[in-house]
Amino acid sequence: MSPQGATGEATTDWTLLARIGQKDEEALSALYDRYSGLVFSEAKRILRDAGAAEEILQDLFYQIWRTSQRFDPARGSLAGWLLVAARNRAISKLRRNTVSEELDENGVTLGFDVESHAAQNLLLDKVRAVMGNLPENQREALECAYFEGMSHAEIAEKTGQPLGTVKTRIRSAMEALKKVLL
Amino acid sequence: MSNGEHIRLEELELFALGALPEAEAAALQAHVSGCGECAMKLAEARGHAALLTFAVKQDKPAGTIKAELMARIRANREAEERYAWPVKTGGRGGGQARGKPEAKSSWLTWVLAPAAVVLALVSFVLSWQNRRIAAELDREHKEAEALVHDREEIEKLVGVLAAPDTVTVKLAGIGDAGNANGVVKFNAKAGVVLYAADLPKLPPDKSYQMWLVPESGAPISAGLLGPGGRAWGRMWTGDVPANTQAKAFAVTIEPVGGMAQPTGPKILLGATQGREEDSSLRSE
Repeated sequence: MSPQGATGEATTDWTLLARIGQKDEEALSALYDRYSGLVFSEAKRILRDAGAAEEILQDLFYQIWRTSQRFDPARGSLAGWLLVAARNRAISKLRRNTVSEELDENGVTLGFDVESHAAQNLLLDKVRAVMGNLPENQREALECAYFEGMSHAEIAEKTGQPLGTVKTRIRSAMEALKKVLL
Repeated sequence: MSNGEHIRLEELELFALGALPEAEAAALQAHVSGCGECAMKLAEARGHAALLTFAVKQDKPAGTIKAELMARIRANREAEERYAWPVKTGGRGGGQARGKPEAKSSWLTWVLAPAAVVLALVSFVLSWQNRRIAAELDREHKEAEALVHDREEIEKLVGVLAAPDTVTVKLAGIGDAGNANGVVKFNAKAGVVLYAADLPKLPPDKSYQMWLVPESGAPISAGLLGPGGRAWGRMWTGDVPANTQAKAFAVTIEPVGGMAQPTGPKILLGATQGREEDSSLRSE
């Protein structure tokens, strides 16, 4: 599935982005094939609406096409930007915010390779294993925040737990999640 | 929030997860925009939070989305290229950027560029409408299937009621359902129809199940009533093996989805003509 360069190695995201900057439609097509599943699945999980998730997906790639020159490799990962931007847009839509929160210029640093479907599948297995082993209350706290857009205070109210407990659960869950990268 | 002059990692992680209240998020954002170290840690925290995407069940978007995207960028590209002519050709010796003659650019550009933009917009609107219509067609298709199903059931109902050799069996309520009653119309070739009245209300995890008690052997399920069953008002049709001879009919309360053999309490029971005195059909 990965687009191959002339020497056979997979083309990096930044190489594709440079070609997109030169209005190379094949490069956009390759980038779409690489990440559309992840972006769509994430937005669909948040919105529980395939049509709305597809709108976000298309708009994000259209934005990449139009503003590719604004992406700076020094500010992090393109895949990371896609995933976080998709999440932010979906949450804005879910909570009916009129202003969609975009990323600031600091970007996203992914400590893992997702430029091939094999790498994505490996990460899917690892993350699912970690999430499967988390205590239910920790997993719930993480998911409420990331997929429902709830603040820690809202999670505390929903679960009937003290704010400090919710923060501890989130911190513990994040520590477990980060071990995926070790 | 901050420890010394930097923001604690757990606060950055809460922010990355979207779990900070608005006011705290704004304060953190203000600090990060002027602090390289915190900005770097926030970018990492966002990457960690993005791992959660990999816990989600993976689906694929419809193939039409990519086709729409590519059509959209082509329209945008054409619009940009046409719009760019007058800008690129200005100045001494600068006209070679696009190689388009000046004379051609002026009026044609200003007509075609807006037209291309309009085309792009129309394409986008049409694709949106296309998806909406597809959803509507899908809903109507399901409604049509339900109507066909209802028609088949009605035909079956009429077939049973109209057959000359159909027999009638009166069912009486039992125990707490003493007020309930019913009438079964049974035809060994065409099927079985039950009209029931004053049945007690069921909890959501239960269904009524109709049984044919054959001349010999175990009761045979004739279908579910209530949740998961087929009904018009209080009239139900049921399926039984062809040419089965019945000596009685009964209705019991069973889990939703039904059982292979009766397990719950009898609600209605009635014997076919001539079998009313059969001791095996006593309600107790």
